[in-house]
Amino acid sequence: MTEEKIILEAQNGNRQALSELVKMYEQTVYNFAYKICRDRDRAEHTMQETFMSMIRSISQFSGKSKLSTWLYTIVSNHCLMMARASKKKFHTSFDDDDALIDEKSIANWNVTPDRVTENNELKEILDEAIKKLPPDYRIVFTLRDVEGLSTEETGNITNLSIPAVKSRLHRARAFLRNELNETFQNG
Amino acid sequence: MDKQNTTCKQVMHYICDNLGEDIDSPKCIAIKEHLNNCGNCQTYFKSVDYTIMFYKKYDVKISEEAHKRLMNHLGLED
Ligand SMILES: [Zn+2]
Repeated sequence: MTEEKIILEAQNGNRQALSELVKMYEQTVYNFAYKICRDRDRAEHTMQETFMSMIRSISQFSGKSKLSTWLYTIVSNHCLMMARASKKKFHTSFDDDDALIDEKSIANWNVTPDRVTENNELKEILDEAIKKLPPDYRIVFTLRDVEGLSTEETGNITNLSIPAVKSRLHRARAFLRNELNETFQNG
Repeated sequence: MDKQNTTCKQVMHYICDNLGEDIDSPKCIAIKEHLNNCGNCQTYFKSVDYTIMFYKKYDVKISEEAHKRLMNHLGLED
């Protein structure tokens, strides 16, 4: 059965089809939620809420966008809502583009990205760095650079204009690079 | 982007895309001329490229327990 057919069946209330959709997308949703929340419990909670929303409103899904885009949107909104509720302050200033690029900090990195899969210490460094970014920056970086979505798709999901997506992406990249530079410049 | 052979062209696409510029615009041509001769910039953009690669390679798998809890939560357990 094609995904289109499964969605139609799910819209007609077929429990088996709903279950099928959940199984098709749970890994994607969980992984994306983790990348945004950087916490397994919160990622699981976000995933549960996301599929609850999907089941509640599957009948309104028009098929104009991809189901994955629709799910990314629910995850992003849920994450932004939780961030607002937690009132965590992000003191990092992103208003000054110049400060993000410091020529003195340019250095060769003695590391290859392949190491990440088996290195827990490295994972912790990556988690801590990205957690310092405000959630909308984190979401834009993850959608564009990690998940490989286009600027337009990212704009639709986050409700941001194209220039706003681009400036967030640029600042997020520069910020994360600077954070990691402290660890890697001396190898 | 290929992490081993980041080319100036790829880097320029990155930058010019961020600037909203065409690859053949005067601004991008000036950037290209600079990049061709600047090891500093090449080092910098390689580290940005690595940063992205790190986050791309960092995936988490859903556990069997989390899958079961999800299906229970949704009332879709087999
Ligand atoms: Zn330069």
